[in-house]
Amino acid sequence: MKLRLNKTVAAVASSALLLMAVPAVGIASASGAASKAKPTYVIGYEGPLSGGNLQLGLNMVFAVELAINQANASGKNHFKLQLAKYDDQGDPTISPTEAQSAVANRKLIAIVGPAFSGATAAAEPYYSKAHVATVSPSATRVTLASSGWNNFFRVVADDGVQGPADADYLVKTKGNKSVYVVSDGSSYGTGLATAFAGQASADGAKVTSVTVPGTAQCTDGTASATEYSAAATQAVASGAKAMFYGGYYCDLGLFLGALGSAGWTGPIMSGDGSDSSALITGTTPASAASGVLLSCACAVSQNSSFNRAFQNLANFSSSNATYAPESYDATNVIIAAMKKLKRITRSALVAELHKISFKGITKRIKFQNDGNIAGAAIYVNQVTNGKVVQLGLE
Amino acid sequence: MKELFAKTYVRRLLITLGVVATVELMTGPPGSNTAPTAGFRGSFAESASFFGLFKTQRWVLFLFIALVAWGIASFWINKGPMVRATVSRALVTPRHITAKRPVRWGALGALLVVAVLLPRIETSAFWQAAMVEQIAVYVLLAIGLNVVVGFAGLLDLGYVAFYAIGAYTTAWVTGALPLPPLFHHALNPFWSIPIAILLVMVAGILLGAPTLRLRGDYLAIVTLGFGEIVTIFANNLYGITNGSLGSNPIPHPSIQLGPVKYVWGLKPVPYYYLALGFIVLFLVIFSLLEHSRVGRAWTAIREDEVAAESVGINPLKYKVMAFAIGAASAGFAGVLTASQSNNIFPASFTLTFSINILVLVILGGMGSIAGVVLGAILIQTVTEYLNNGQHWGYQPSDLYIYLGALLIVMMIFRPAGLIPSKRRKREILLSEADHENAHLDEALLGDDV
Amino acid sequence: MGAFGHYVAAHFDTLKLEFWALFVGGVANGLLYGMIAVGYTLVYGVLRLINFAHSEIFMSGGFAGYFVMKALVGTSVPTGAASVGLIILGIVAGGVVGSVMAFVLERVAYRPLRKRNAPKLAYLISAIGASYFLFNMAGKEFGHLAVSTPQPYINHAVFHIFGAPVLMYYVIILIAGVVMFVALDRLVAKTRLGRGIRAVAQDVETASLMGVNIDRTIAITFIVGGALGGAAGFLFAMGTGVVYTMGFVPALKAFTAAVLGGIGNLRGAMIGGLILGVFESLCVVFVQAAYIDVVAFGILVLVLLVRPTGILGERLGRSA
Repeated sequence: MKLRLNKTVAAVASSALLLMAVPAVGIASASGAASKAKPTYVIGYEGPLSGGNLQLGLNMVFAVELAINQANASGKNHFKLQLAKYDDQGDPTISPTEAQSAVANRKLIAIVGPAFSGATAAAEPYYSKAHVATVSPSATRVTLASSGWNNFFRVVADDGVQGPADADYLVKTKGNKSVYVVSDGSSYGTGLATAFAGQASADGAKVTSVTVPGTAQCTDGTASATEYSAAATQAVASGAKAMFYGGYYCDLGLFLGALGSAGWTGPIMSGDGSDSSALITGTTPASAASGVLLSCACAVSQNSSFNRAFQNLANFSSSNATYAPESYDATNVIIAAMKKLKRITRSALVAELHKISFKGITKRIKFQNDGNIAGAAIYVNQVTNGKVVQLGLE
Repeated sequence: MKELFAKTYVRRLLITLGVVATVELMTGPPGSNTAPTAGFRGSFAESASFFGLFKTQRWVLFLFIALVAWGIASFWINKGPMVRATVSRALVTPRHITAKRPVRWGALGALLVVAVLLPRIETSAFWQAAMVEQIAVYVLLAIGLNVVVGFAGLLDLGYVAFYAIGAYTTAWVTGALPLPPLFHHALNPFWSIPIAILLVMVAGILLGAPTLRLRGDYLAIVTLGFGEIVTIFANNLYGITNGSLGSNPIPHPSIQLGPVKYVWGLKPVPYYYLALGFIVLFLVIFSLLEHSRVGRAWTAIREDEVAAESVGINPLKYKVMAFAIGAASAGFAGVLTASQSNNIFPASFTLTFSINILVLVILGGMGSIAGVVLGAILIQTVTEYLNNGQHWGYQPSDLYIYLGALLIVMMIFRPAGLIPSKRRKREILLSEADHENAHLDEALLGDDV
Repeated sequence: MGAFGHYVAAHFDTLKLEFWALFVGGVANGLLYGMIAVGYTLVYGVLRLINFAHSEIFMSGGFAGYFVMKALVGTSVPTGAASVGLIILGIVAGGVVGSVMAFVLERVAYRPLRKRNAPKLAYLISAIGASYFLFNMAGKEFGHLAVSTPQPYINHAVFHIFGAPVLMYYVIILIAGVVMFVALDRLVAKTRLGRGIRAVAQDVETASLMGVNIDRTIAITFIVGGALGGAAGFLFAMGTGVVYTMGFVPALKAFTAAVLGGIGNLRGAMIGGLILGVFESLCVVFVQAAYIDVVAFGILVLVLLVRPTGILGERLGRSA
């Protein structure tokens, strides 16, 4: 058996050298310049910091940074804080690697995030094993709290709360007796749509459930917007009075255009995945998005000092920054818990977070035993005059 | 004016300028839909330091690089053959030595030792995780695709389907899917290795039998279609695969044979050794195949299918065999991924993934095992390195810009790959030199329709 | 069989209800697929190559049209002659940018291979590389978010067919499609240029012996295919907005249409497009929307396995 190796030897040896040389160049991580008297701890943020969901990540990471800066500036704490960013691109195949990287950082005591539910599900086992508290501002998948992770917390109500709350709103409050429920086939959309459909039926509405898969235009879906016209025709022909869409703003934007062309006239509602001004810019024509109702466990901040500080740091308004107030609260609850501890360790922080009650700018933060937030606040927004406007609690 | 363009050095200068401008755009800042010209303007006008000497704009820096490159290219084209001849003469003695068997076996052994010791050398958590998840898995997939594309010459754009089948089989066998597992009894992921490989090979046969009669271009599209179909089914059959919600948690592998007891946990290093073991196994098997009757049959079919048929080789049978055998390593890679991560989602098995593997095979050298392993390690290492941290304006979403450009460049300048397989290189050269022997390039595709 | 019959019967009622609306939408989609398919068919006929990167030509036409609309359409929606002018301008912009992209693509990714007489596999791989390069570049330069195109017209229903509204958008596509197809058909059948294309498609060496400039003819084939693909991109963008990944699925469907009609056959591309568009649209009654793509891929696989020459057969070389 002859194997040609003359070039192989050189090539593979050099690639092994490359592998070894890489860490010498440095991997982005908290650089840890220790301060003189106070110990430094690192709070990490894990979320999408590149790619299509970059904006969402920026919303959150700026809020975390703001909270950390304010904590350091106040001088009243017996520790100093640093921010470390872990970019998982919202991808559950990348987040485990980032999680392991975060956990290996000895100074890291807690994570704000991960932002996306799928990424959280993939990364939690690593955080859980290392007893690193993860306080997520936006991961709303129901099963995350029931997977036995003691270190998992979230400051927003989950999809199991959002779906039924939306159903009650659309059927009971708004009085629609028949609803056409559309799911985009993603794990988030399906979960939300199913929860909605269940409650809507229980509320006495006639429910028709379909799946209109996401397009290659928005997610890695295989559909194309050309199919939406057929799906929209079906929706109109069903005779339903209202529609609920479980999915993200990008595909909803395309679908809204098709619905407008097909002659749909009833109210359309969607969840937090669509709650973004990008929904309006992505709808052709833009008028088709007018009046769409969007629910979210996230709030628009009414706290003017936060808004001003956020604007200064991020150079864009917090009213457009979904989940920024929640990220701010998540960071601050971690800091509040740290303040109560004499000796700050990862496990002690997890235990303290289970006990703490903290008033944030969005709500009072107290966690249930499984890490879910106590209370079920879901807000409803509406697209009015080309902007997303918060109407209030559902 | 026309005479000016006819001059080769002018043309070369323009081409160099074009290439450099493209590179400038590739490495420049991104734009956005609200600022579509920001990327273009920034790529050229952003301030940059001229090799640390003084501050200037990017286009000046790149213009300088372009002129230098043009000079070097002109020099090389004129004086190149002389230099290459000198280098060749100098390399005769080292080549003599490395051609000896003991030297080769020794080098292989040394490589194995390095591979085994690698987790001790490289101790950062990120890289240890990356070694398994990004590099080892991709090496497995690349050597499998190499059998299909490299040995048998079939362009398979749906290779990710076999990876998905392997992963989902693991989930099924260990009871993580709504579909009840085999014998209604959840098994250790280790049992899923043979089952997954078997299923994947069956899938390869089922996919290959009807489609491998098709010509190369059509085969590529059909395999692409099948890859997509598998993903769509995985995403929608909630009763079987749990749809887009992904599988339930999959247990980690563990061994309990009498006194021997070991549980793979969350740490990546044990998985690395498991993967390494199987990689070596597959390398040995594929290498033996390459030099066996089957491998020779593949070569015959690749080079001249009609002639191969006339000496009694059934092209369809061997092509389907290539498909099935190539799928085996993808099946194991699926088992590895599924049992290491906690759950699997249909969304991770995309066409882009298949293309990624194809790039690794093309870069390394179609048909060359050593080349493919190198290509996989090289690209995945560089990708992981660039993805982790800020490097010269690279964003992780830019990856496929570079991979796409790499494919084009490889096809134009070095289609045989980094470490070419001798046979393939000869075939390509023959095809290029031979205008009349058109049947040779048809043979690279397969049957004429 | 009874259950199956029941299933079909129940769905047939729905079909009867929605038939004309679905049919109209399907025809519009089909015309778009046909316009893109022409690009595939022309290049295949002349080079025996599937231009995998044609999806990016479609996308570039879409972006070009989008930028033109963004620049020219103000806050109020124009009407009348301004509308018509803008639409024509958009189509021209899309077509021009599409042709330029196609020309550059041929020069950069395919001509060097042709000059070296590379094996066929190399072309396909280069095409894939070009496709990935182009759409990710577009994503980098223009952002990853989808944006809607400012509308140059008011999309009201122009007339009704059996109760199904035919929107302005569909009428525009119909007119544009018919004009382009007829013009292309005449170009290939009657003009000298067309004869050159047909000659190269039939037999490259004889054509070159007869004095046809191969390089120029191939370039022009790409340009013509690119023009139609780019124009289709603008029409698609007008109805759906633009995003950097917009090319992949429509182009794949268009390729299916080209194969269905007979790859290499110009009229086959148009007919294949229409058939696929209508069939896909009507299918949504019987099959969940999620499986429509399976249907499209299934058609592709079936045609390739059972009748690879398609409905009209490979005929660009003979008189179209």
